[in-house]
Amino acid sequence: MKKTKTYLHNPGYLKIDLMLCGIRLNENAVKSLGIDLSTGYTGITGGLDIILPYKTWVNAPFLEDFAKNSPYELIQKDGKAFIKREGESVKVKIIPKPDFYKLKTTTGIPLSKIGNMHGSYVAITPDTRCEFFNMNIECRYCAGNFNSKGGVVYSVEEVLETVEAAYKEGKAEIVYLSIGFSETPDGGIEFLKPYIKAIKKHFNTIVAVEALPPKENKFIDETYAVGADSVLYNMEIFDEKLFKEICPGRDELIGRNRYINALKYAAKVFPNGTVASNLIVGLEPAESTMRGIDFLTDLGVVPILPIYRPVSSVKLLSYKIPSLDEIAPVYKHLYHAVKKNRINMNWVRDISVITTPIEAMFFTGDMSRFKTMMHKFYKSKLGLKTVWGLSTLRRKLRVREVGEG
Amino acid sequence: MKVIIDRRPIWVIVLVRSLRPIFFLALGFIFWYLINIPTPSGLTIQGQRALALFVVCLILWVTDALPLAITSLMAIVMVPLLGVMDKKAAYALFGNEAVFFILGAFILSAAVMHSGLASRIAVLIMDRFGNTPKGLLASIFLLAAVLSFFMSEHAVAAMLFPIVLEIAKGLNLKPGKSNYAKSLFLALAWGCVIGGVATFLGGARVPLAAGMLKEATGITIGFFEYTMVVFPTVVILLFIGYIGLTRFFPQDIQDIHLAKDVFARKIKGLGKMGYTEYAVGILMLITISSWLLFSRMAGIANIAIIAVVALFVLKLVRWKDIEEYVNWGIILMYGGAITLGAAMEKSGAAAWLANTVIGDWANSPVLVIAVFSLLTILLTEGMSNAAVIAILLPVSIGMAGRFNLDPQIITYAIAIPAGLAFCFPMSTPANAIAVSSGYITARDMAKAGIVMMITAWIVFNIMAKVYWPILGIKI
Ligand code: SF4
Repeated sequence: MKKTKTYLHNPGYLKIDLMLCGIRLNENAVKSLGIDLSTGYTGITGGLDIILPYKTWVNAPFLEDFAKNSPYELIQKDGKAFIKREGESVKVKIIPKPDFYKLKTTTGIPLSKIGNMHGSYVAITPDTRCEFFNMNIECRYCAGNFNSKGGVVYSVEEVLETVEAAYKEGKAEIVYLSIGFSETPDGGIEFLKPYIKAIKKHFNTIVAVEALPPKENKFIDETYAVGADSVLYNMEIFDEKLFKEICPGRDELIGRNRYINALKYAAKVFPNGTVASNLIVGLEPAESTMRGIDFLTDLGVVPILPIYRPVSSVKLLSYKIPSLDEIAPVYKHLYHAVKKNRINMNWVRDISVITTPIEAMFFTGDMSRFKTMMHKFYKSKLGLKTVWGLSTLRRKLRVREVGEG
Repeated sequence: MKVIIDRRPIWVIVLVRSLRPIFFLALGFIFWYLINIPTPSGLTIQGQRALALFVVCLILWVTDALPLAITSLMAIVMVPLLGVMDKKAAYALFGNEAVFFILGAFILSAAVMHSGLASRIAVLIMDRFGNTPKGLLASIFLLAAVLSFFMSEHAVAAMLFPIVLEIAKGLNLKPGKSNYAKSLFLALAWGCVIGGVATFLGGARVPLAAGMLKEATGITIGFFEYTMVVFPTVVILLFIGYIGLTRFFPQDIQDIHLAKDVFARKIKGLGKMGYTEYAVGILMLITISSWLLFSRMAGIANIAIIAVVALFVLKLVRWKDIEEYVNWGIILMYGGAITLGAAMEKSGAAAWLANTVIGDWANSPVLVIAVFSLLTILLTEGMSNAAVIAILLPVSIGMAGRFNLDPQIITYAIAIPAGLAFCFPMSTPANAIAVSSGYITARDMAKAGIVMMITAWIVFNIMAKVYWPILGIKI
């Protein structure tokens, strides 16, 4: 089969290829589609949010140099957006950057600095510091420079204002909170607690938390009890040796085993399909990522496979971007492993910067699941509300607070 | 707060959670049914309603589905609502002398604890008499008992616990293994339990029983009178208890000089005795003497409250210090239990129930006492001893009339065994505190406790038959 056909008309392939190659923007198309490129298009996830067929979100880079040579071009026909490659095109929808990016908090901070939209997720890092940078053991691919001087801490009120603006605009469905490393035994959850509580108090929303594995499991219990619906402890690299090399901080101060044990425990505490861990595709051999997928899915953990796009500031300059053909089997493997272990795939959804396990189904060539009533229901607003309701009920039933001792 | 995640299958959790609403629905149905069945002969309509309420409270007290105090408050409200008693009369029962005596006793006990006098006495006595392993064991046992004559046994257990724990650690005894450690902690628990029944002060349940008796029959039991009745039983039980401790847990340690270091450190930490300790000590002496000598004349609650006022006049304690020691829940519980007991008695429900349930086979006064004391001692192992009194006393007072038995006797038969909870951690806080040390297991406690419980019941009945008549109490 011709590659264009496979890549362009299969949303899974197209999503990854767009992330790898970027997209060229036709100036006329930009104008006539009313895309305002003046705000929000910088930084690591600053590409153009596009909805491909089957409601597949993608964040396609277009400002970076490599995007100038992309085989894909955004064009418009009759006021509608299309992605064109080698004479063929597919209809898509362009999602403009949200209006709330132009707003500021009452303390004068632009909301775009606090919250970033990735599909239906509003991602917030209330404390942008990561102590790995102070010790020179930061993850080698990390694009930030979040040492104690460069980092910022946003208050609960500032975060709430951001979430409120995102919800008012109808952009956000899920709040994603993350935190870098700090030398506390709780993996950052004690710091995030007031944020999670406040968000849960004010919004009927799902909250996902990305933190570092805490030293003791009781903090995982607390993460769930306080209101997190989903948790991510990102291993990033499964291969032991590469993990040491690429994530020296995680290796030295947390340890690969603790990642595994924390994920294993969390999978017993959180609902099926809500405990996840990133494995970055391309930073280790595909076989190693696949072993990681098998290992994590056996634990009941959802592997999330982001694609790494290096920026010049990081220490991994020798990195070679893999080709789609190299990584496609990994995604196919992901779908089969998740399915085999009966892990719920509906939690990780509508996110533009990674390929979700359910989207990995595109690599199997079987699209039947996307047509089922159940899938449509999950994707709907009502489905999301149902998920939120069930998650809240489950927490109410499972969590008990007892006096110390 | 500590978080626990219930990881059982969700259907199990849902089932368990739905038991509560089902339980309350069933309880509501039982209540409705008992109210609406045709009134049995010999029972008035008020009696029927009082009985229905009693059954509901009994279930709630036994199951602990609601806090004891809340069940009692509900009883106070329901008595007038069901027309069993006039609103004014029902609420007036809450102002019963027993309730105010208990309040006063709690405050006095708090003052003794807060002043540091109690721990000083404890450490000095242990240091003075605890020169050998047996001496130390006996001093802990007797100290717990004697202190429980004068203050709440729960407070005594809580106060002595850290000292005994430090002794066990100081002697390097192995938790769960050392026999000597087991005997020390059990001595603490049993001392409090046995000593707690000696006077009105050890466990507030005795005043509760006295209060219920007074409301039902007008008969009063004095502080001195009660102590006279029970004291020999207490002495015998202390003697048997000590033998039991040494037999169940044969001594496996010879040298206790390390414990002496603990006492030396403690005594040093206490410094010299201050004004507050002297003043509280003197005030307690005067109060106890007044209870012994003038309780009939002046009333035990009046003496207690005057002593409390004196505490504050002399600025020996602040309200803030008192608040954390007073068990307000128990005070509410007692008020409700007295109201319900009076409602049962006055409506004739108590007598009817007693006749119907055990009237046919409990055919002699001795048997009645034996049965009620056995029921009490068994029930008190599994539930709050105050709740046992609240449940059994109205029925037993009802029974007394049938045999021309002095209701005072039946009150003793319930009030005394209600305090003798030896077997399980849940039986009484003193046991729970001992097991919480980790040095003695619930199993150890149960093994020794069952033997002690049976012995206590036999001793009690022998004393009732042999000793009480000497005091002029004829069965
Ligand atoms: S943990 Fe690693 S990836 Fe995350 S902020 Fe720190 S250095 Fe960057």
